[in-house]
Amino acid sequence: MALGLAFVYVPLAVVLVSSFNTDRTFGWPPSGLTLEWWSRAWDSAGARTALLTSVKAGLGATAIALVLGTMASFAVARYRFFGREAVSILVVLPIALPGIVTGIALSNAITTTLQPLGVSFGLFTVIVGHATFCVVVVYNNVLARLRRTGGSLEEASMDLGADVFATFRHVTFPAVRSALVAGGLLAFALSFDEIIVTTFTAGASVQTLPVWIFTNLARPNQAPVVNVVAALLVLLSVLPVWLAQRISSDPAGGRI
Amino acid sequence: MSAVHEARRPSLARRSSGALHRRPRLRLMLLITLPMLVLVVVYLGALGVLLLSAFWTTDTFTGDVVRDGTFENFRELLASDVYRAVTLRTVGIASAVTVMCAVLAFPMALYMSKVASPRRRQLLVVAVLTPLWASYLVKAFAWRTMLAGDGVVNWALAPLGVQGPGFGLTATIIVLTYLWLPFMVLPVYAGLERLPDSLLEASSDLGAGAGRTVRSVVLPLAFPAVVAGAIFTFSLSLGDYIAVQIVGGKSQLLGNLIQGNAGAANNLPLAAALAAVPVLIMVVLLLAVRRTGALDNL
Repeated sequence: MALGLAFVYVPLAVVLVSSFNTDRTFGWPPSGLTLEWWSRAWDSAGARTALLTSVKAGLGATAIALVLGTMASFAVARYRFFGREAVSILVVLPIALPGIVTGIALSNAITTTLQPLGVSFGLFTVIVGHATFCVVVVYNNVLARLRRTGGSLEEASMDLGADVFATFRHVTFPAVRSALVAGGLLAFALSFDEIIVTTFTAGASVQTLPVWIFTNLARPNQAPVVNVVAALLVLLSVLPVWLAQRISSDPAGGRI
Repeated sequence: MSAVHEARRPSLARRSSGALHRRPRLRLMLLITLPMLVLVVVYLGALGVLLLSAFWTTDTFTGDVVRDGTFENFRELLASDVYRAVTLRTVGIASAVTVMCAVLAFPMALYMSKVASPRRRQLLVVAVLTPLWASYLVKAFAWRTMLAGDGVVNWALAPLGVQGPGFGLTATIIVLTYLWLPFMVLPVYAGLERLPDSLLEASSDLGAGAGRTVRSVVLPLAFPAVVAGAIFTFSLSLGDYIAVQIVGGKSQLLGNLIQGNAGAANNLPLAAALAAVPVLIMVVLLLAVRRTGALDNL
């Protein structure tokens, strides 16, 4: 167990320490400590723009995923209909197939169908691309919650005279709220971290943070700044776990 | 007069609520149409065209796609030694990563679920899960710093007189194992947690030592969960092409070939045919493990 945890955490710790290393090439052990790279990264316009793009793409994809995933999970949990199994498979497919398959499929579709309509590669196509594989995490979380709570509470609410909308507002929504938060967090994290589908749907003008990191990895000149951004992301990854802990009792913060 | 009449009628919300309540089919249609329309049109549509284009070719002169419908791309895949070698290498790496993940994850999951106290268990689950949220690229990048010529690994191994693996296929296996380890720990942990403690007690009452209990009781019962984790790690490794670019030196995997053909070489039909290879492998694998009950553990 201790060995396993060491395997998991040592590389992340090395990134954190390296971001203060005075040596540009990050030789180990560090020759000295400095804050210079952090201030340089703070001033890096490229990293800032990329971060902003990533946040926008993440929020957009999460919003779409929340709406579509919730609708689909309600349909599958509360009704029996022809093709119900097919819905589950269709929702899981975008995350089960390798990202590169989704990536070139979407890129091909954008070139052949959307570009003649005047929609070009950009933030919008990134959001749509991310939404396809974000739907599944919202769907899984809400579906699990709906299966656990069952429909009897809603029936009771209706029997007591509440209409469909009041029932949704006062009974159904509170029951699934924390599942929505968990699903939304996971969806945002998936989108924020995604690089493969992004590469194929972003075009040349838009750069998300992972794409920025990847393009700058190859440039020795940018290495210290990339390292700081990486260290920052390591620190930020604690945030969703902490949030999920506060909001729900589920330590796992939802299902994958 | 009509205004009074209007006032007595129930509100619009109340009336539409009644209409919705009486028609469950209508509710279902309202719920399911939009998500399915989006997924079918955007995703399945794109995927369908991609699979179709595997049977097309490109004009070698203009680079335009010719929609003719041949098996030319697949013939090229089967005939070429390069593609066969890369496919075998990719499957080999994915298998190695899966085995390493299983070997590392099983003891961790066993300790978390059966040995640790409930309080520590919570902490350990969080500790294993937190890195799952750290960025993929950052983790791959971390290993680049670890494995570099003057990196941590070589520095730690130097007193022993050993050299680290450097960048290459071994590094790729290490990094992919590192990246996908939580995807193996989680299902195995969930599977072991469902295993009743009374079985372990029964086994030791019958005279089995700890090793024998793990071998003859725990492992067979946890097998479906391990397979479920293996599906994740195998499928994720099969499609990866970023990690190998970061730490793999000059090595190429299937993903690199697909990416190269879709991008720089501008040969989408060949890329599509290549992309069919991991999809086919995954479908065969999923059908093969269906009977172990692993799919219920996903």
